[in-house]
Amino acid sequence: MGDLLSLFVNSVFIGNILLAYFLGICSFIAVSKTIETATGLGLAVIFVLTVTSPVNWLIYHGLLAPGALAWAGFPEMDLSFLKYITFIAVIAAIVQAVEMVIDRYSPLLYASLGVFLPLIAVNCAILGTSLFMVERNHTFVESVVFGAGSGTGWMLAIVSMAAIRKKVRYADVPAGLDGFGFIMIIAGLMAMTFMMFSGITL
Amino acid sequence: MSDKKQSNRSFKNSRVYVVFFALAVALVFSVLITSAATMLKPLHQQNRILDKKTNLLEAANLLPENERLTPEKIQTIYDTHIREVHADPRGQILRQATGDSLQLYLIHTDQQVQGYIVPISTRGLWGKIHGYLAFEADGETVAGFSVYSHSETPGLGGEIESQWFQDNFKGKKILNAHNQLVSVSIAKGKSENLPENLQDHYVDGISGATLTGRYLSEGLEETLTQYEPVSIIFRQKKGSQTHLDTLLDE
Amino acid sequence: MQNDLSHYKEILVKGIWRENPVAYQVLGICSALAVTVKMSTALVMSIALTLVAAFSGLIISSLRHLIPSNIRIIVELTVIASLVIVTDQILQAYLYDISKQLSIFVGLIITNCIILGRAEAFALANNPADSFVDGIANGLGYSMILMAVAFFRELLGSGQFFGISVIPQFVYDMGFQDMGIMVLAPGAFFIIGLLVWLKNSLPGGISHEKK
Repeated sequence: MGDLLSLFVNSVFIGNILLAYFLGICSFIAVSKTIETATGLGLAVIFVLTVTSPVNWLIYHGLLAPGALAWAGFPEMDLSFLKYITFIAVIAAIVQAVEMVIDRYSPLLYASLGVFLPLIAVNCAILGTSLFMVERNHTFVESVVFGAGSGTGWMLAIVSMAAIRKKVRYADVPAGLDGFGFIMIIAGLMAMTFMMFSGITL
Repeated sequence: MSDKKQSNRSFKNSRVYVVFFALAVALVFSVLITSAATMLKPLHQQNRILDKKTNLLEAANLLPENERLTPEKIQTIYDTHIREVHADPRGQILRQATGDSLQLYLIHTDQQVQGYIVPISTRGLWGKIHGYLAFEADGETVAGFSVYSHSETPGLGGEIESQWFQDNFKGKKILNAHNQLVSVSIAKGKSENLPENLQDHYVDGISGATLTGRYLSEGLEETLTQYEPVSIIFRQKKGSQTHLDTLLDE
Repeated sequence: MQNDLSHYKEILVKGIWRENPVAYQVLGICSALAVTVKMSTALVMSIALTLVAAFSGLIISSLRHLIPSNIRIIVELTVIASLVIVTDQILQAYLYDISKQLSIFVGLIITNCIILGRAEAFALANNPADSFVDGIANGLGYSMILMAVAFFRELLGSGQFFGISVIPQFVYDMGFQDMGIMVLAPGAFFIIGLLVWLKNSLPGGISHEKK
């Protein structure tokens, strides 16, 4: 239990998928203009990550990993090279399904979240989390915790960024630095702040 | 003209065509990637084995520094200096693996045993850390350490693969003054800040990677406890040169 | 026909400088940064991405009259993902050390916005040769930024250039130290921010629309 907690805290702060591994920066920049939309996208990312990470775990360890097909009589089979294409297909399919379910049962939620869902399918944070989960040899339970933790970390980062951008809206930034460059500098400072948690022991 | 275009477009979106097209794309690309994967697989395996051998040699300090070695050269050094063996739970060195034997590697020059290498496999912050810890023939002095696979954060825990960190294991002792096993651990910060009697058993830590260090220390202690019978065999021979075959035939 | 050299040059300049994918289009930066601690990994990543961009442009453009529009995206993703898998396999076979360091980031080329973006915006509307050149141009534009970031991070963070120490010992003796922050994530953010500032201040790199 303590291990899972520390995995969660690590994936939220020290190993923040956005600020330490640079995943999902495209939408981080595009959607951090207001706090409301940032929160919406953040929630969608948490949800999608918590679902896709374990689903991809099952597919990888049930079908693709070396020796995973032993039950079907192919103990020598190693299909792990197919993981990229399988994961991206699973993610696209899940996002599509989530979109349809939300649209059907909660039009209100769909109105606020729906626009972000297609964006998520190509968000590298989602694919990255699934690939990290394989690379780091997580167990099934760990993959759920890691997915949720990565999502939470991502949301925390984008919501803080939206809040900071609101505060600095009227700041007098030198021409040329204004815009993308300035956001990167802020992100750098945020990354430093998040790294301060690296001394933490649980 | 526009009629033709129209009909072409509707044909392109007809169900039959879409299914046919999707299947064709799937077929062509699965053939492409499967053949690439199958053709290159032997090379991948070769690389993995070579990488392990390189790391074994690195732990044993047998690799010339600042020189790019060809795979053949690495293979030659490996063949002349390393012998993969096994040890039973009493520490007896065996040629063949048995049910409960441990894997280890002997370092030898002209068949004279110079030391041994223990494979390390422990959890890290994110995933498994795999590496090797080499010992001198006295059974207590660390000769070197190397890591061939890990998934720690680059710049923080990832520093375990850096030269300074690995070099700092050289010469550390796993026995204390009373000849008890104390393992070798990763300090929090510099090892020189520790009390003098501990300095021999601690290496400098990596700043910002407390947890990686802690897991690695735990893993090392566990592994060394397991391999203690082997180390005892080596300690008993203290100083005397042993021939490879003598050790194996005992 | 516009198929003369100046036409290709036009596409190249556009991709590499005027509409540089990282700085201007704010695309593809995701996987761009994690591999910039060292120049060697950044170089291999750049080559891999450029090749994938060029060949996906070529293939998608050749198929553009055949692809049904409603499964367009999934076909594009299949093409890109297949090329990435092949690239990854080749790297593992011939550049094992570097492919180990690139870890998951080769796979993330799939979700790199530059590649899908160019497929959508250019390859579907232009002929294969143009699309191939456009892929190379955008790949090189990306490579330029990536190499620049890696150059500063490796030089300031470890005092090295492609793994060779370039800062003389006497500088260290005078008290100079490698900047640890450059090896870590924040260093990448700072460098890229400053590079964008520099590019926007240069003539020809006119500031893009205000965010």
